[in-house]
Amino acid sequence: MSERRKAKPAVVLRVPSGTEFLATIRDTTRRMAELAGCEATLAAQVALAVDEASTNVIEHAYRGARDRSVELRFTLAGGELRIEIVDDGTPVDPRALPQVDLRRYASEGRKGGLGVHLMGRIMDTVTFRRTARGNVCCMVKRLGASEGREVR
Amino acid sequence: MSELSVSSRELEGVVLLYPSGFINAHTVSTFEDELQKAMGGGRFRIVVSGQDLRYVASAGLGALMGVIEEVRSHGGDIRIAELNETVRNIFEMLGLNHLYRIFPSEQEAILSFRESASAGTRTA
Repeated sequence: MSERRKAKPAVVLRVPSGTEFLATIRDTTRRMAELAGCEATLAAQVALAVDEASTNVIEHAYRGARDRSVELRFTLAGGELRIEIVDDGTPVDPRALPQVDLRRYASEGRKGGLGVHLMGRIMDTVTFRRTARGNVCCMVKRLGASEGREVR
Repeated sequence: MSELSVSSRELEGVVLLYPSGFINAHTVSTFEDELQKAMGGGRFRIVVSGQDLRYVASAGLGALMGVIEEVRSHGGDIRIAELNETVRNIFEMLGLNHLYRIFPSEQEAILSFRESASAGTRTA
């Protein structure tokens, strides 16, 4: 078993599925990123990526239902900060997400898809999978890496 | 402390919006209300001054994207000023710096509307 697979979450946060808890998610994520050694601007960006993923869970997987929960698992190991956002709502197919074309978005007044695009720009990897625990969005920031690209 | 408050004022025919705090899915309606208030009053020259804006998620960017065509169709624009490094990076990551004019200072953003107006007068 690899070192990465042995790593236990350093912090687990579970909050109700209301947008008023996004501040708690953001503050915890920023603090975890700072503890991982991220400077303030990067820590704020990582917090933004997690805010976006959690918002997607609340708005799409749970369709606004406020009586569910969102679980965040933070692991710091192997030179990377790994954050898993777990829900038991409707699975999201990332392949169904629209490609972001800003000019078209502006001309059509569209808004969707920007969040996932932003997550991919901030984090080194963003993956979605279905497990026995539910839907898992896993985002990794390699410490020392400057920019992310991969969403799958 | 509230997560987001938005104050506004008008100067030289330009509406200045001052979001203070965090714009995300929870707070975006407050920001949208202020944008709509300006547009509803027929004021389409808008500067969003980000000196106290700590963070903006895609919900906030979507709010800007959702109205920009309408604002421009009325001869106006939404211009952005005084972003901190975090927020400026977010705009750049998404390429929004190509869609919106971003200025280091509020004064430069206001002045840019005056320059646009004089350029329009000269070419008329």
